[in-house]
Amino acid sequence: MHRTLRSNTRFDLIILSSCIVLALAARALPNTMREPVATGMRRTFLAPLVMLQERAERGRQSLLQADAKQSRIDSLSLNSMKAGSLEGENDRLRKLIGLGSRLRWGFIPTEALHGRGVRDETTVILSAGSRAGVSRLSPVIAPEGLVGVVDQVDPTMSHAMLWTHPDFRVSAMSPDGTAFGIAQAHLSGPTGGYLIELRGVPFRATLKPGALIVSSGWGGVWPRGIPIGTVLQEIKTSEGWARTYLLRPAVNPSDVYSVMILRRDRLAKGLDGVWQNVAQVDQATQRIIVSGDSAAKAAALAEAAARRAVIDSMARANGAPPLGAIDSAGAARAVTPRPVPVRRPPVVDTTARQRRDTTPRDTIRRDTIRRDSVRTDTIPYRPGVTR
Amino acid sequence: MNVGGAIRALISFLIFVVLHYTLRPLLGWRAPMDFLVLALLLAAVRVRPATAAVIGFVLGLVSDSLAPDALGAGAIAMTVVGFGASYLKAVFFADNLVLNAFFFFLGKWVFDILYFVGEQRVHGVELLQQLLLWSPLSAAVTAAVGVLLLFIMRPLLEPTPA
Repeated sequence: MHRTLRSNTRFDLIILSSCIVLALAARALPNTMREPVATGMRRTFLAPLVMLQERAERGRQSLLQADAKQSRIDSLSLNSMKAGSLEGENDRLRKLIGLGSRLRWGFIPTEALHGRGVRDETTVILSAGSRAGVSRLSPVIAPEGLVGVVDQVDPTMSHAMLWTHPDFRVSAMSPDGTAFGIAQAHLSGPTGGYLIELRGVPFRATLKPGALIVSSGWGGVWPRGIPIGTVLQEIKTSEGWARTYLLRPAVNPSDVYSVMILRRDRLAKGLDGVWQNVAQVDQATQRIIVSGDSAAKAAALAEAAARRAVIDSMARANGAPPLGAIDSAGAARAVTPRPVPVRRPPVVDTTARQRRDTTPRDTIRRDTIRRDSVRTDTIPYRPGVTR
Repeated sequence: MNVGGAIRALISFLIFVVLHYTLRPLLGWRAPMDFLVLALLLAAVRVRPATAAVIGFVLGLVSDSLAPDALGAGAIAMTVVGFGASYLKAVFFADNLVLNAFFFFLGKWVFDILYFVGEQRVHGVELLQQLLLWSPLSAAVTAAVGVLLLFIMRPLLEPTPA
């Protein structure tokens, strides 16, 4: 028993010594040999453990950087939101500068201060007053078109009535001057306050959807040619003597932040050419639509004529009268009874023969010209000819 | 130890090894727990000293392979700790959590002393600071975690009743 125990202890010590010697040998290995040994172990049976450790360390790095990443993402989101609004503001200001360069003089750039909710948007405060040259009933415009009119003026600021106001009216017309009416806010219906209606348009004047409507210049407040909106559709009203159209406004009141007030002396000079591009584009669009319609109609007519000629040619090639002739003959048969054939003695009348030969020939000749083009198709169908 | 007990011990051993390469780097503490030492100590008390020395040698090489500059230092330390733990198992093989905690603490500290001395990477004050400050802290954390895992894994680690 004691011997066995001593033997086991000796065995344990031998194993321990062997392991220590091996470990010391590993420790004594030169650097050039340590790395291959370690790499070999990492790449073989330790690979799963190494992978686990890598993932765990990556997870720790992710956890440590989560807050920083989140704050970075938040900053980027905030910047992107700001960038969108800045782009919009830049666009508005660029348009305003463009309008200013076209007006050249006689305008007061100002800020529109919205005081109430979006749906109650009928008036705004303008940051320019009588000291800047603003007077009552001065038009307020934006690069897109009509905004409103100044109704109260203080020395440093003024109060403007937007087109959404129930009391707002402006004389309007189509750019070509064929239709006139009074534009005002469309207050009834679910879109009340967001659209404009053009009332009192003469019944003979029709406006197509998409047509531009501008101020007419009548009344002395608004100069001629300021865009008001575009026609959406005609609406039915109780007024039977005139048409009423629904317009999409050129300017959305809730988007108005930078506007221009036109001075009274500028109105007298007119606004020719300021929105001319808009009107020209509109007229060009209308012309394109009309010419497109005309071209399509002409093409359809030509195609119908060609088809009819081909059908007639085929009918003649088959020995039947042309389609038009069949119709007329059929119609004649339907209306009048067939006359009883009367045998007449053969009379030789050269003039009549000439007349018969010449007169119808002219009408047929047009068809024969076309028949040549389809003769190859018509020949196989000729009666008495086998295919 | 019967076959069932051996399998359960092997599963526990593998769990500790996996924890060493997942939970430890995930936590990234300055004084980390050492699941490899825990696995070695839990295995050593179940096998004879020679086997514990071999297990320690293999585990040491495994840990050294991730730090090639210290190849062999961990193997020496693990071999000695495994052999010693198995040799002293009569003392520490008791169902007493405090004694087990001390066993884990001592095993980890001895391992660190042997490892840092054998590694010869740190010297002087830094070595003393490591051995007298960070190593005991790490050993304490290891002991606490070891006791906690013993408590959690008691059904897996207890010997099967005859």
